Order: sequence, then C-alpha cells, then structure tokens
Amino acid sequence: MDYLYDHYSGAIYGAVLRILRTEEIAEEVLQDVFLKVWDKIEQYDASKGRLFTWMIQIARNLAIDKSRSKETSKSKKTDDIDFLVGRIDRQENMEMEVDAIGLKEVLQKLSVEQQFIVSHLYLKGYTQSEVAEEFNIPLGTVKTRLRLAMNELRSLLAIE
Amino acid sequence: MNIKEYISSGILEAYVFGDLSLEEMRDLEAKLKVYPELKEELAKIEAVSEQLLLKASITPRTSVKTSLFEKIESEKEVPVIPLRQESMTWRYAAAASIVFGLFSSFLAYTYWSRWQESQSNLTQLLAQNQRIAQDYSTVQNRLEEIETEVRITTNPDFERVVMKGTPNAPQSIASVYWNARTKEVYLSIQNMKALSKENQYQLWAIIDGKPVDCGVFDSTLAGLLKMKDAALFPTTFAVTIEPRGGKSSPSLETMQVAGNVAKV
Repeated sequence: MDYLYDHYSGAIYGAVLRILRTEEIAEEVLQDVFLKVWDKIEQYDASKGRLFTWMIQIARNLAIDKSRSKETSKSKKTDDIDFLVGRIDRQENMEMEVDAIGLKEVLQKLSVEQQFIVSHLYLKGYTQSEVAEEFNIPLGTVKTRLRLAMNELRSLLAIE
Repeated sequence: MNIKEYISSGILEAYVFGDLSLEEMRDLEAKLKVYPELKEELAKIEAVSEQLLLKASITPRTSVKTSLFEKIESEKEVPVIPLRQESMTWRYAAAASIVFGLFSSFLAYTYWSRWQESQSNLTQLLAQNQRIAQDYSTVQNRLEEIETEVRITTNPDFERVVMKGTPNAPQSIASVYWNARTKEVYLSIQNMKALSKENQYQLWAIIDGKPVDCGVFDSTLAGLLKMKDAALFPTTFAVTIEPRGGKSSPSLETMQVAGNVAKV
C-alpha cells in the first residue's frame, strides 16, 4: 500500500485535482480513492486491465461524483493552459516539474487537433463527452482523435 | 463481431481513462475475456495513458499520506469481518454454554433425585435387614429353647411333675421337670392367672416337709424356664404368689398349684 501510494498518488491526485480544482476537496477524494483500493483490493481483476487503470477508474468516478455534488460547473474549467504548470511551479519536486515539461514537449509533436483532445482530457480534467459538448465536436470524433493521438504517443513515449 | 472496428472506435481509450458508463465497462470487460487481441491493444493504451498521467502527476501534501495511513491503521485495528466472526464465535460459545448449563442442571437434578431415591431405598433395605436379623435371632432363640425343651421333655432322667390348681386357682396348671441325678429343675406353664406388676409367682420344693426356694417367674412365661436346683429329694413342688423378687418363706395361703413327686 505504501508502494502504491508513493508510486501512484501523484498521478491520481493530478487527475482528481484537475477535475475538482480545489486542493482540499481533491485531497479528500484522494484519500477516499486509496481507502477504497485498500478495502476492495480483492475485487481487482487483472483480466480487466492494469491495477493503475482500475485505480484511475475509481478515482475519476469519485471525483466526478464529488464535482457534481459540489455543483462544480464546467464553466469553472478555464482554458488556463498553465494551470497544471502553475501548480507544479509551487512544488519543490523538481522531477515532477521536469516530467510535466517533458509531457508538454511530447504533446507539441502531435497534430493540433490531437493535442487539443489529449490536453483537455489528460491535463484539464475534461471527460470525453464534456469536450464534445463544450467544443461542439461529435463524441465519435473525440474518440477517434484520441485513439490516433494515443497511437502516436506510443512511439513518442517509446512504448512497445 | 469485428474487433478491429471495435478497437478503432476509441472505446479502449475511454475505458482506460475511466470515461465509460458502468454498462459499457461491463460489456467491454466481458469482451476482454473472449478476444485476446483486444486485451493486447488495451495493454498498449494503458501503458500510454499511465505514462501521460504519471507525467501529469501533482504531488499531494505529505499530510494527506499521514492521515490516510492513520485511517488505514484504524481500519486495520477494527477489522469488520474478523469482529463479526469473533462475535459469532462468542455467540456460539454462549449458546453452547447455555445448552451445556441446562444439560448439566438436568443431569444434576436427575442424579440428585436418583440419589435421593437410592438413599431412601437403602434406608428401607437396612431397616428390613435389621428386622430380618432380629426375626432370625428371635427364631434362633426360640428354636434353641424348643430344642432344650425337647431335650428335657424327652430325657428319661427328667421326671415331669404336674402341679394342679388349688382351690385358690382351680383352672391353673403348671409342670416341673426335675432331674434327680443333676438336681436340675425346669418349669413350664400350661395355664396361670396374670399377676399385677408388684407380684411374681415363686416355686417351692418341699423337702422333708420344709419349703425350699426354687426361684421366681412371671405369668407371661413361655416354654421351659430353668429354676434353682433342688438339692435334696423333694416330695412336692408348689407355687405361691409373692411380692416381686420373692420371699424366703412362702405365703402358703396364696398357693396356686401343687404336685407331688411320684418316685418319692
């Protein structure tokens, strides 16, 4: 559990914070995510994907539920591209900062459309349907663009 | 179904990102078990997604970790399932001890009443035994008496002297068995009046015209009674009524029975 936390808490906290935008609430949800993982670990089924996938599914569900109950409207999600970077600037963890900057560089190698989708989903806390609604892009198009972007990223991130 | 088309719809990316509805997730998870190529593709997307999210990490404050692990510790300390099992165990244990207790009480009562019963039976048996022993000894004594009587009455050395009623008590009759050789004297009553507690009968042997004391007896006498030996040759035996314990000389006016010795 200690390992899981040290390894994944940053990634999950990032995802949760981008949806909720409030550190206190995001911290609360982060704890709930790990408590749920701790309680339900026997329900994790490796045939359904990686442990991290399972965790991020739990995290996003909890965060979205929370954002609905807190009436955090989509309009609050600004186009502030530097939200993430701004937050990271306040951190002392240099490694994280380097990684985030590295990520931005990687994303810049994608086409503009793909970059838009990936950064909204992965860096701004949007869901696929939110992107579709807010920017008037058919949901199917969002999905295929993401798929193409992810395919590109495989080679860019040297996975395979 | 066309797996390639399914994959290219981008559903796996949505799944990995946690953007599917519960039904869509279930459907996809079922397909994952059937189509290995779907699983393969998923693994690649997961790797990319994980990389992206790890790169987009934001480190939470250390206080979050501290309080999270405190919560986990406190959950560990009060584990729900073991507690239930424990309480069930205790319930079973309690139920078992109640059943055992009731059963023990039942046994205790049963054995106590059986013990009581045995105790009273034993008391009865002991009493019965004692009575039988007494009866036996009575019978034994009586038998010995009768044997003695038979031995005396059938012994030719004994002379039977029948003492008949005087005018004082015409219905009375008693006998003396007298052995001239051993000087022994035995008495038996056939019919004598009952006396008051203050008085007893006294037997006398008349020797040379003088009465000699042969001892006292009660009217209730059964069987033969050994009297004092008559030293010299008596001519007559007689019985008078005297105060309890007898006297040295008879009150002749109270004579009840008398009989002469034949041989003399």
